[in-house]
Amino acid sequence: MNEARTLTLRVQKAELISPSLKHVVLESADRSPLPSVGAGSHIRLSLRENNKKFRNAYSIAAAAGDRSSYEIIVRRVEPSRGGSAFIHNTIDAGQTIEASYPGNLFPPSFTAQKHLLISAGIGITPFLSYLSYLRQTRAEVRLHHFCRLDELETFRRLLLPFSAGEVHLHPNSTRIDVANLLQSHPLGTHLYVCGPEKFMETVLGAAKTLHWPGSKLHSESFGGAHAGGAPFVAVLARSGIEVKVGEDQTLLEAIEAAGVEPPSLCRGGACGQCLTEIIDGIPEHRDHYLSPEEHKAGRAMMICVSRAKGNRITLDL
Amino acid sequence: MLTPTIPSRPRYSPFALVPEARAHLIVAERSDALENQPIPAIDPTPLEFWAVSGDCRAPVGDSILNGVHTSHFRSTFHLLSRLSYRLAIETIGLHLYAIGTEPFIWDVVKLAKQFGMNSDEYHLTHRGSEKRRVYCIHCKTMTDDVTNNIAICAGCGASLLVRDHFSKRLAAFMGVQVDAEVAGEVPAIEEVYP
Amino acid sequence: MNVAFKPSETFRDDFTYRNSDDGILRFPFPFAEDKYMYSVNIEPHVPSGPSPAYEHTFDVDEHYIAECRERAIVLEQDPSRCKVLPHMMAAQWDTLELIMESLARDYPRHFSLERDGAQWSWINRPLGIEQTFTFGDASTLPFEPFEYITRQAQGDFTLQDQRENNLFVDGGMVTTQADWSLEFDIGMTFHEWHAPVPLAHQIGVFDRALKFLLRLQQEQPVRRLNWTMTVNPRLDTSPENYPAWGPDRATVDQENVAQKVHLRVELQTLFRLPRSNAILFGVRCYLASVEELARVTKWRKRLHRVLRDLPEELEGYKGLNRYRGMVINYLAPFDDGAPLSKGPQPDQASV
Repeated sequence: MNEARTLTLRVQKAELISPSLKHVVLESADRSPLPSVGAGSHIRLSLRENNKKFRNAYSIAAAAGDRSSYEIIVRRVEPSRGGSAFIHNTIDAGQTIEASYPGNLFPPSFTAQKHLLISAGIGITPFLSYLSYLRQTRAEVRLHHFCRLDELETFRRLLLPFSAGEVHLHPNSTRIDVANLLQSHPLGTHLYVCGPEKFMETVLGAAKTLHWPGSKLHSESFGGAHAGGAPFVAVLARSGIEVKVGEDQTLLEAIEAAGVEPPSLCRGGACGQCLTEIIDGIPEHRDHYLSPEEHKAGRAMMICVSRAKGNRITLDL
Repeated sequence: MLTPTIPSRPRYSPFALVPEARAHLIVAERSDALENQPIPAIDPTPLEFWAVSGDCRAPVGDSILNGVHTSHFRSTFHLLSRLSYRLAIETIGLHLYAIGTEPFIWDVVKLAKQFGMNSDEYHLTHRGSEKRRVYCIHCKTMTDDVTNNIAICAGCGASLLVRDHFSKRLAAFMGVQVDAEVAGEVPAIEEVYP
Repeated sequence: MNVAFKPSETFRDDFTYRNSDDGILRFPFPFAEDKYMYSVNIEPHVPSGPSPAYEHTFDVDEHYIAECRERAIVLEQDPSRCKVLPHMMAAQWDTLELIMESLARDYPRHFSLERDGAQWSWINRPLGIEQTFTFGDASTLPFEPFEYITRQAQGDFTLQDQRENNLFVDGGMVTTQADWSLEFDIGMTFHEWHAPVPLAHQIGVFDRALKFLLRLQQEQPVRRLNWTMTVNPRLDTSPENYPAWGPDRATVDQENVAQKVHLRVELQTLFRLPRSNAILFGVRCYLASVEELARVTKWRKRLHRVLRDLPEELEGYKGLNRYRGMVINYLAPFDDGAPLSKGPQPDQASV
């Protein structure tokens, strides 16, 4: 598939809403309307710092009805692999940023009769767009958000526009049993989870134990969790170059840093865009896209999250 | 068992309880549907069996039949009506099993979908006649109990060739006028869905 | 871009539909080679191709007004030809936005769209429509948004909801179809919907197409061509009205075959919609009689070869049994067997 056209965005506003959360409003640099987006959409920003290039995907927390702006919220991750620290240190009103066209790998179910949203920390961002959309529908909605005590006020303010009966905040000072939230929901309920990998595993694990059918479970994680690992060398056969992949970067990031731009989209092992054939070497699969049989065959890999087993892998790039 | 010839022809599986259920509800077109079926004697998962007796004088209500909590209904409509009230108050984790002929199975599925159940929450077992419900594509009339390759439409009288194309929403096969191009050009009629 | 419309032509009764010389040359001839077989022939829907028909997101041609009128006639007789399941409202607005924006951008002399927040003003000059409405509020339009805008577009459209790793055809406007029924198929999965197509399932065409479409991205639409043949320039060859058009097939003889039999090409386009994450599937139908196509030297030879060597299963599925031989007989004398250039382009500038 052809690589999508890019957007040039200007930072309209950037402010810290907590010591580690930055709220950024992006508008089209030439004032033309931005592409329409739906609940759960994300945008991938291309960030450059010195010689380093990052492409990070962020959920669009809100989009203006007249298509004039997108809002994202970025958490500063320590240690930052790039991107989040850059946004926190450098991004300010007036700056321009290149971005891909929006995509959506986490849309709501349009057939659901009730939506149960469970998030933790910065995992709230896709659900802010969900809440805006769902209040135009007749479906019932409940959000349970888990956060650190020192960020409780920040999230309370973010959720202020939404009905108090629909949103519930759980600071980690209160012990709450996730299983309680998952019981006795009507048949037409769908469950959505977004947050740190471990949190999602806990919630989805509890849902499975409590007999939720797989078709009603939805989750999204971006980057971070699947990054790093032992360093190795990737040989790009068609380009005729060797790329060193460090322990704190992904294979795709290393390839892009070397000037090769394979197609990619979600950068989370879900969308299938960066599927790459392996000529030699053994992959360590970390994606959600290929089937178990394809993983076993080891003929292709998703280079955004997967790495090499051993110190060398040769790719058809 | 019915074997699909084209991909819209539904597949059915032999009856088996799924381990991931919180509770099982089995609805059947006949009260002998569970005879010789693998129902575990001791299973902590709640199980109910609803069956149609097809007899207006037969006792209606609940009983324990072969150790299974059983509810009896006078007709399929009687059963489907009660099922809609039940699904409205049911919660996640219920698995629904339908055993019977195709029109019955798909009427059950239609209800299940209406109450938000997905295809991994219901399980379908074909039992009994292969007779078809046929939807006349020209006049929108349903003709039931079709056993021949050619059916006469109950609505417009057309001779309908019963295509193997099946609509789960209508719970019916498509019927298309067989002699539309040249009137009277009708193939030999034979019983193909006993 | 200015199109000279032919508003009075008909697709029923007296069948006055004809292609102008330019219309013949811009016909999206589907055969790039002398042989035809199913494939996942999907390519990016970019504004270029072997015919001007590919140059815009939605092609508007000389038949626009007549086709919209034909659609209105079909809907008058059978309103169920347009049906959208209730959970597809976001997809309805997505469709309206995509079609209005594309037409206004690609044909500014014929269509205009002004937006002031949620207040939209739409002008369709060929059909004489001016409409002000509130985007997102269906009560401000005379029809639901999907029906409203597809009544003003050529070709059929369906809406696919993506869930459970599948696509469900959960809505559509289907009045110019090649023998499939929206009323019957609505709600089906991708494979169920395509069930009656022979051969293609066995070679995995639909498995691969589905996997591809599940990953289709916003702003990266794709297209493919499909084809069949139809007796008379009739757009509504629905199973619903088979009793009306079926008898046409028996009226073809060696004398009238070139005027009666039409090649029917579907330019199929697929768009990922932004709010609903649904896929809009456009099926734009082009008709040209064998006689019209025979005015292009390359096409009359290639059409002859394709039909002559067509697998029997496809002849049956496409309903060509009664007249394929007559079309071949008509075209055979034009075909000297000389090699033809690769690709579907006409290789001549006038007819």
